[in-house]
Amino acid sequence: MNDHSVPTWEEVARDHGRRIYNFAYRLTGNPDDASDLMQEVLLRVRRGLPGYTPGSFEGWLWRITRNAFLDDIRRKKRRPTVALPVDDRSALGSVPAPEDTLAESRLPEHLQQALLALPFDFREAVVMCDVVGLTYDEIADATDVPVGTVRSRIHRGRKMLRGMLE
Amino acid sequence: MTHPIDLLSAFLDGELAAADQAEVANHLHGCASCAADLQGISRVRDWIRGMPVEEAPSPLLPALRPPRWAWAAASIAAAALAVGLVVTPAQTEVLDLDTLAGQHTARVVVSPGISSIRGPVAGR
Repeated sequence: MNDHSVPTWEEVARDHGRRIYNFAYRLTGNPDDASDLMQEVLLRVRRGLPGYTPGSFEGWLWRITRNAFLDDIRRKKRRPTVALPVDDRSALGSVPAPEDTLAESRLPEHLQQALLALPFDFREAVVMCDVVGLTYDEIADATDVPVGTVRSRIHRGRKMLRGMLE
Repeated sequence: MTHPIDLLSAFLDGELAAADQAEVANHLHGCASCAADLQGISRVRDWIRGMPVEEAPSPLLPALRPPRWAWAAASIAAAALAVGLVVTPAQTEVLDLDTLAGQHTARVVVSPGISSIRGPVAGR
């Protein structure tokens, strides 16, 4: 879709539904929360489409997605971050033997646990970049921060993940 | 150039300006430390990008929006209930609601111990 057309709600659901679900799933690690968030995002998209001005659709969509996620966090009165020291592996369960570390650390469940251990801002930036596939500019637009901040968050997030997984 | 540590992810993602991209590439040729960092970051990126794509539960999307015919059918049914009659598509005459309301009233039949409402009843 180019930036100057307005998609229908069905097109948004069809073309972006899976990405929204995966964004939510990787941020929460919980399929039920991801389903709820996806429903909420698509409802907000349906309400918001009549007022959408053609432009950066990705920025618009992911701003809605992010706001829905943050609203859900507030509603449930829980903190979105589980901040841990970079080298604290205790939160990832039992520490594997060194020879098993590399092989096991690539398992999706270990990667998911490592993602969840990232502070929210870094997790969000990494997920938007590496799971959703947004550019740095699109992430900056969606999260309302300068692109330099996005660059820093992605890099620091990946470094933290490396510290936990290697 | 000092070690471009904070630029390595952006370099990896091709998100630097062309001049910066070239400068970092040049630095990496002569700096084993930064090259190793880049490899580590690249491995992490590959792992995250290689995570399985989760499928949204299939009932999600249909549940959000029933098909249009369902909305239309529900609207027609609601309108028919409101005036106490069913208007068929073949009916073309203009309907006067006051007249129709007078013709379609409910009759309450009371039997010992039982109350019920029967209607609509035409021709009253």
